[in-house]
Amino acid sequence: MNTLELRDGVVALGGRTIWRNANFTLDAGTITAVLGPNGAGKSTLLKAILGLVQLSQGSLEVFGAPPERGNRRVGYLAQSRRADEMASVTGRDYVGLGFDGPRFGWGHDRAKREVVQRALALTGTTSFADRPLSTLSGGQRQRVALAQATVFKPELLLLDEPLAGLDLAAQAEIVDLINLIRDTTGAAVIVVAHDLNPLAPIVDQVLWIARRQVRCGSVDDVVNENVLSELYGHPIEIVVTPRGRRVIVGLEEEFAHPHPHGHDHTHEDVHEHLADLYHEEST
Amino acid sequence: MSLGQLLALSFVQHAFYAVTAVALAAGPVGYFVVVRRQAFAAHAIGHVGFAGAAGAVLLGLSPIFGLLVFCLGAGLLIGVGGATLDDRDAVVGVTLTAALGLGVLFISLYSGYANATYSILFGQILGVSSSDVAVVASLSLGVLAVVSYAYRPLLFVSVDAQSAEARGLSTRAMSLLFMTLLAVTTVVAIQVVGVLLVFSLLVAPAAAAEMITNRPLEAVLWSTCLALLSAWFGLFLGVWIGGPVSFWITALASSGYLLARLNNSRRTRQARRAIA
Repeated sequence: MNTLELRDGVVALGGRTIWRNANFTLDAGTITAVLGPNGAGKSTLLKAILGLVQLSQGSLEVFGAPPERGNRRVGYLAQSRRADEMASVTGRDYVGLGFDGPRFGWGHDRAKREVVQRALALTGTTSFADRPLSTLSGGQRQRVALAQATVFKPELLLLDEPLAGLDLAAQAEIVDLINLIRDTTGAAVIVVAHDLNPLAPIVDQVLWIARRQVRCGSVDDVVNENVLSELYGHPIEIVVTPRGRRVIVGLEEEFAHPHPHGHDHTHEDVHEHLADLYHEEST
Repeated sequence: MSLGQLLALSFVQHAFYAVTAVALAAGPVGYFVVVRRQAFAAHAIGHVGFAGAAGAVLLGLSPIFGLLVFCLGAGLLIGVGGATLDDRDAVVGVTLTAALGLGVLFISLYSGYANATYSILFGQILGVSSSDVAVVASLSLGVLAVVSYAYRPLLFVSVDAQSAEARGLSTRAMSLLFMTLLAVTTVVAIQVVGVLLVFSLLVAPAAAAEMITNRPLEAVLWSTCLALLSAWFGLFLGVWIGGPVSFWITALASSGYLLARLNNSRRTRQARRAIA
């Protein structure tokens, strides 16, 4: 049984198709990078897997059953927020919420302490677990968030932009940590990202979403000039640097959905369009 | 009259039970107001309550019923409108203004004495009847029971709504639950300190607590203790020295916040020096 199987999936929100004909499977112990422009529906894919968004057509099975909200076998890291938007709770308390946050009642589970301790140890966050989140660096906060997401050792881990807003050194640390989590728990991991390069060393599979279409396969199968040019509808060039990093040229001109009017994009149009997309992504 | 005799008076004892119950509810609920950054909503609900109380007085009913109806209504409106919208402040602001307008109308229609208005605005804890005390105490303890029962889910959605939602909690349902608790707490706090000074019990102790500790449970306990201390000593000073009890409670609660804040900035400076 695959960890996850999506067949001919279509998602429409507010009467508009976000993407269609999505097909992919996920095996235990693999890492899949989800790439594509802003507003293409990358976060929507994660929400569908979490059971927060319903497919309008097709079938989606997680562990052989339809997605179910609040499933402990699925871990989720939401897009991170700025430090000043975080409450001043300690990392330890934040991770603890992953353990019993959804639970109502007066009782206290004695296992909590140990489970939280283990999650902190796995993510290397023990030394700063008692400091408030608002005083941590972006990379430290992301590690604590990963500790919360993995508190139940999920078999499927969904990470929404875990590298956003981090400097290169912190990105590399988080990539190593994701790899470590995969190796120690054997989870299938989906990572939404903007840039493939930092993730390339650990990625088994790439899922690219653009213009309502989804392509899935190995890095070389998807991230090549033919597939991306077809996906974007205009020529894309890929330059491979001597160290094996890919520079993709031609993406910056296009957004998730082509502008509805025929005329050229003015500066204001582009900004308005981006604002729209951002709004959709965040709701 | 000696202090002992003063404290033995039945109206002082009624007041003591009422402020104790109110502080027990306001401490924990206030912590969530601070963590959720909903101080403006708390402020607005109190003022909306003013219109309800004025309306009830106009109809010859007990102000507390008007308060309950209007505060709950405002709480639910803000909970529904504000949970999904980015412009929560606008929803709160419009609700607030509409209700205050109604309050003005009710007062102008009401030709009786101004005392009722005064006690709604500034609280008249020494004037509460034993039946009022029973209502206030049962509402407060009810809030305390629900808040402690829903403590973890409330904290989860308040600190990290997206993760909480992914783990099966409904942000909207929790928002409605919290606004209901906040509305009821506001109603009982108004009995003690009045509409205008509701912050002294609902926000000041919790804001101080958040500066004292970063552990949520400890902060709830600090917030509750500070609310209790402000309420008890405020009542005591009001009876012993004189002056409105609500003045004393407000003065004590604000001083507590000020002290916590001074201590906090001293700690931050020390930490900076330690790093440098």
